[in-house]
Amino acid sequence: MISRKILTEVLEKALSTGADFAEVYAEYTTENNLFMVDNRLDSITDRVISGVGIRILKGTRCVSGSCTSLERSDLLACAGRIADALDGVPENRSVHLTERLFGDIHPIRIVPQTADTRTKIDLLKEGYAAARDYHEDIAQVTASLLSFDHQILVANSDGLYTQDRQIRTRMAVSAVASKNGENQNGSCAPGRRMGLELFDLYAPADIGREAARQAVTMLSAGYIKAGRMPVAIENGFGGVIFHEACGHSLEASCVSIGQSQFCGKLGQKIANEKVTAIDDGTIPNAWGSINIDDEGTPAQRKVLIENGILKSYMIDKLNGRRMGMEANGSSRRQGYQWDTTSRMTNTYIAAGTDKNEDIIKSIEYGLYAKKMGGGSVNPATGSFNFAVNEGYIIRNGQICEPVRGASLIGKGSDIIMDIDMVGQNMETAQGMCGASSGSIPTDVGQPLIRVSSITVGGR
Amino acid sequence: MKYNEFKELVTAAAKARGLEAYELYCTESEEVAAEVLYHEISSFSTAAHTGASFRCIHEGKIGSAATELFTAQEAERIVEAAMENAYFTENTESAFIHSSGDTYENPDPVITPQPSAAQLEELALAIQEKAYGCDSRVADGSLSEAAFLRSSVSLSNSRGLDLTRSRAYCLAACNPSVKEAGELYDSIEIKAAAFQDLNPQDIASKAVKDAVSTIGADTVESGRYHLIFSGKMTATLLSTFFSAFSGVDAQRGLSLWGGKEGETVAAPMVTITDNPFLEGSMIQVPFDSEGVATRCKNVIENGRLVTLLHNLTTAAKAGISSTGNGSRPGYASAVTVAPYNFYMEKGGAGSREDILREAGSGIYITQFNGLHAGANPITGDFSLSSAGFLVENGELTRPVKNFTISGNFYELLKSISLVGDDLEFQTPKGDSCFGAPTILVKDMPVAGK
Repeated sequence: MISRKILTEVLEKALSTGADFAEVYAEYTTENNLFMVDNRLDSITDRVISGVGIRILKGTRCVSGSCTSLERSDLLACAGRIADALDGVPENRSVHLTERLFGDIHPIRIVPQTADTRTKIDLLKEGYAAARDYHEDIAQVTASLLSFDHQILVANSDGLYTQDRQIRTRMAVSAVASKNGENQNGSCAPGRRMGLELFDLYAPADIGREAARQAVTMLSAGYIKAGRMPVAIENGFGGVIFHEACGHSLEASCVSIGQSQFCGKLGQKIANEKVTAIDDGTIPNAWGSINIDDEGTPAQRKVLIENGILKSYMIDKLNGRRMGMEANGSSRRQGYQWDTTSRMTNTYIAAGTDKNEDIIKSIEYGLYAKKMGGGSVNPATGSFNFAVNEGYIIRNGQICEPVRGASLIGKGSDIIMDIDMVGQNMETAQGMCGASSGSIPTDVGQPLIRVSSITVGGR
Repeated sequence: MKYNEFKELVTAAAKARGLEAYELYCTESEEVAAEVLYHEISSFSTAAHTGASFRCIHEGKIGSAATELFTAQEAERIVEAAMENAYFTENTESAFIHSSGDTYENPDPVITPQPSAAQLEELALAIQEKAYGCDSRVADGSLSEAAFLRSSVSLSNSRGLDLTRSRAYCLAACNPSVKEAGELYDSIEIKAAAFQDLNPQDIASKAVKDAVSTIGADTVESGRYHLIFSGKMTATLLSTFFSAFSGVDAQRGLSLWGGKEGETVAAPMVTITDNPFLEGSMIQVPFDSEGVATRCKNVIENGRLVTLLHNLTTAAKAGISSTGNGSRPGYASAVTVAPYNFYMEKGGAGSREDILREAGSGIYITQFNGLHAGANPITGDFSLSSAGFLVENGELTRPVKNFTISGNFYELLKSISLVGDDLEFQTPKGDSCFGAPTILVKDMPVAGK
């Protein structure tokens, strides 16, 4: 993307006013999105994203900049502007870049950008048709086939020079069921750090049918009555509960400045002893996996919570300086336009020992949250909320009628204490996580769990 | 290479392939921002981005391709890729590359002078110091920021259009964290204006006052309450459920208002306006993303749906002319629709205090969390984690949080019983800025303890 010689010049320029660390992140990404609506291929989005983000650190002060260019003169100008914003003592530091190759544990069989467009259209149409034909109440379907080929380069004044190529593929089908002037929707959107071989794992028709099934099921559902009750949250996207209620508060970006409910709690019991939670960026071909993070640190598997005890935070270089701790492969950014910070990769609650049927049987009256929607959290206060896209009432230990309009709200530090049963069917699901460093692919996951009591919003 | 040189190469490539209808759309943006943590500048950033998208009509259909790299190779590639994408697309609806001939309004452009880096740093530091000075409970971890934003959009096409618009203004923000009895309470105040109009004391005082007012907030008993939404929260509901007003979504069956023009969709005191030239706003937009002249219009008038918002394609399908709301959320995006200054007009129910008195009891809503999770624009259903103040005997009595309010946007618009005269606006985002007065909606379900 950029020669070592130019990178060296740029880093030296960036260091010229007394910074103790300089870094160049360069990106060349191609994005292709086929979009269907109204039974036809509506549009194709096709673009090249490319540029550099440069930053310097002096202690815990950060100066950064970015530009949409890979040309030497533009990079030097950008580095000069950044150096000028740090009013330090001019000095000449030399940098020697040595290449490191970390290897790639995510084999790609069919690189999507090189596949025949017709082949991709046929895959998308298969998913689309399955949703449309599922039931007579399906009124509209939208479907996308997204592929990203994201090449990154990281070079820094410690002499690191390394690259990675991240290829991801995802199909997203959303179905709307409509009856008597009411709409309900359902969606299914599996993705992997893979090429088109993703569809050997997920038949497009299954993706379409699952989206339609949810929409049709919810069309006949009544509204849930609000209140506090026990909730059984199913595996897969149910893991969004840990991601929101706890994961974000374990990111160094908020821990390092005292804005987390879990500050200063390493080694302490913060969760029910049934809870072991892991952030693992090293799972081959998983959606949130990375070979290296966006500072060039190799990906790691980090046990965040072990049997209820807080073991680790997710740490990037800058916040690591604030905390006096080492970065651990957690620094991520959407691209060169965003400043990198600590983020999650593939984050999940590990399988436990409870039997799924026992979890349902244990609930006299409560909610079975089969499919979760998105969520959000304020990491400082721990207040979170998320939507239940497909829920059912549990009565006398039996899953009964579907209910719509439910949301779960509470405080992260409370809910992880209240996870008192953990099942065995751990599964992950894919999401796009939005925060200060942009929108990045992350996996959430868990087995079926029980939360002994939580506020369920409804009517 | 510079954009003008790139544009010439793209035009030459399009002509060489025999294209007759094509367009190049380019966005440029620059952001300079200083952030303060504790008592020091913690980060200073300057970011400059450019991206261009080529669209053409090929075999009767629209195709596009975009790039951020202005090179000779990319000029050829985006033309070829747009043609190939048009070939594969099955969208046979009318495709438009807009002709020149519109009369464009000429609003005063919002171009405020760029402050120096030192001025931005001083402003951010001043906000932070004022915040610490407002209340002894303001804690480390509080953040203040000052930024300068500049953006421009250029559109030129084979039918003679060659348009450019720019805007530049500053943002100042204070995000204080207040600590009391081991608990953190935070708030955020953001102001968009010319640099000289940003007063650090005002911004810090408002932010700290908001955070302090939530100290000790607790949940509420579940039940049914009268809800009084602050102007900003009413505006937030309008922006969250904006797709209800979109001609694109309506034609796809994703808004329940498709074909409902002329019908009553809201309470009689509700009028909603989309104004590209609202006085005093940072958003002044003479032409849309297709090059169509924009105009001011009522979308809902006294409860009656007047029009949805349209671009050239959806308007042609509906048999009307474009409302000038063609929009591209990013330079590479397909054309959809978006509003400009989009707001509920002031009503006759008086001030916020008048409305609180009229309600007697209920909850005054000042914050929503997790809108993307708790609101479903397709169904209109929402179940939103909220915060605000309990209202008893017509007055705010104590802060409340960690409860949800539930309902349906379409039903809520019809059940508004009062609209105040205190129009407030959100921070502008892209070409859009939402606003509304305080409103009262009676007897809504609330889930707390």
